[in-house]
Amino acid sequence: MTITATLEVFRCGPGGTDRRFEEHEVTVHDDATVLDAIEAVWARHDRSLTFRHACHHASCGTCGILVNGVEALPCIADLSEALRQRSPVRVEPLRNLPLAGDLTVDVAGFFDRMRASTMTITRTAEDRLPIPTDGGDLRARPVEVADGLARFNRFENCVECGICISACPTMATDDRFRGPAMLAALARARVETDDPQERERLLDLADGEHGVWRCHGAWECTTRCPQQVDPAESIMQQRRDLLRRRLRGRVR
Amino acid sequence: MGRPRVIVIGAGSTGAATAHDLALRGVDVVVVERGEVASGTTGRNHCLLHSGGRYCVTDDEAGIECIDENLALRRIMPDLLELNDGLFVATTEEDLAYKDAFLEACARCHIPARELEPDRARQLEPFLTPDVLAAVQVPDGVFEPYRFCLAFLATAQANGAQVRTFTEVVDLDSTNGYVTGVTVVDRLTGRTDTLGADLVINAGGPWAEHLASMAEVDVPVSPTPGVMVTMGRRLNNMVINRLNVPSDGDIVVPQRTTSIIGTTSWSVDDPDHIPIPADHVTRMLDRGRDLLPEIAAASIRGVMAVARPLISKPGVDARLVSRTFECFDHKADGVEGFVTISGGKTTTARAMAEKVADIVCGKLGVDAPCRTTDIPLVDHRRFHARS
Repeated sequence: MTITATLEVFRCGPGGTDRRFEEHEVTVHDDATVLDAIEAVWARHDRSLTFRHACHHASCGTCGILVNGVEALPCIADLSEALRQRSPVRVEPLRNLPLAGDLTVDVAGFFDRMRASTMTITRTAEDRLPIPTDGGDLRARPVEVADGLARFNRFENCVECGICISACPTMATDDRFRGPAMLAALARARVETDDPQERERLLDLADGEHGVWRCHGAWECTTRCPQQVDPAESIMQQRRDLLRRRLRGRVR
Repeated sequence: MGRPRVIVIGAGSTGAATAHDLALRGVDVVVVERGEVASGTTGRNHCLLHSGGRYCVTDDEAGIECIDENLALRRIMPDLLELNDGLFVATTEEDLAYKDAFLEACARCHIPARELEPDRARQLEPFLTPDVLAAVQVPDGVFEPYRFCLAFLATAQANGAQVRTFTEVVDLDSTNGYVTGVTVVDRLTGRTDTLGADLVINAGGPWAEHLASMAEVDVPVSPTPGVMVTMGRRLNNMVINRLNVPSDGDIVVPQRTTSIIGTTSWSVDDPDHIPIPADHVTRMLDRGRDLLPEIAAASIRGVMAVARPLISKPGVDARLVSRTFECFDHKADGVEGFVTISGGKTTTARAMAEKVADIVCGKLGVDAPCRTTDIPLVDHRRFHARS
């Protein structure tokens, strides 16, 4: 079974000039995603369309855009559902990130901040099979019995998609705001480190005029996050931690 | 004389690892990719860091390649791997009969393997079918294909390589049977450029045949897609494999909060257009439930399919085609300065890069050894970041 959908696709010229919407009608299978429809536009109508995509199952975070005005990963956004909301389905680049072309934004500044957070994608690996290797770090230990599913998840959930940045009203008013992704990553990195000095340094990074105090508390980052990372709660937790630290300083 | 310049077409795992290898050897590298990094075959792979167990019974060469590369990747990208091991599980008498051949093949291919009692396997994997008759643990793992490529490319950039995404090759330039560069269109600026090179590497995956046709040569690549279904719950700690010959729906790979069931196998003519057959999705769910019955209670998060660039062999079924790789120096076809690397899989991308870089350096007179098994890769975020 197939469905025919019309997409209203944001287009622009070099440097973000000549901004406009273009309509394209595509026929795709009836359980297609919005990304499938965008790919059909590219494959069958216009090879010059630029959009980012890689994994197609919400793991890489590259494909984030606005679908009908709301941040989404189009690789897991059902096209039929999008059509029920609005026809033609409108697709646009994320907000609060510089436009690079069509549905593509410049993520350099975003990744500068994510780098500064020092959050790693994998948590410390757990016990594993004996592996013949010369690498000391990789030498194996016995496998232990799992005690719950939560500890199985060793990849961090944040896929660095930028959706929280796009959804954040504070980012729209202050481009120096560190933003929900970096602030959530700082909180995560602080949990992972055993070094007290590093913990303090990471908390310092979350502090300040453009840090956690700048957040308006709109909670849009958490609402829109496709991975349930809950950046807003991380921001509030770091506010509480900073307040405690200040109060401890006064008591001393 | 300056450093030789090589253009690598394709920023999937093979192109990314090749750029890194050549940059380490002092070659001036330019990578051109028509879309985002890993937007082709690599991005949509199963995320499985192969131990070699999947292939070792029927294909020693692929099994040994996998375990060797598995160990190498543990050294160079430890922050990007989830080292959770894999279980090969027997649920039928036929599976059980396969066990001895599997253990012998693991030993032959130096893949660490140990048998677990069924109760022990169920302790480790609470959602595993109660029908488990035998289980063998091997060092499978999980990676993220996109970040896998970013880490290789970021390291290549740190060693002087240029990476141009959204830059599509529209022609190969040649003079007197010698490829001298490529003509590209930059999709972000609309500009058409000619990039000169001493040699061009075709790392286009299932699109390699199309690229090779621009030089009027042929490569025997068979675009062979597979369907994968991602469930909205994580149901396993280790990679769960069926203990039998490779077939549809016999692996469930855990990643983050999901479990990914794969995969099927069929052939297509156009790797840009792969309609996903509905019955393949149903088959994945049915077969996945045989290993992890709880799949029946989980929702589908995503369905994906992309073409593998298998080296086609006349008269051989795609499922039985070796997952090893091949490098084609098109000098044999009368075209100099043009080399294709194809086949393989992301786990063996570093080895593929070593092979093609050895050939390319030999052709260009670059006397430098491969160092990619020992040099740790830089943070994947450096690919995009300015600082």
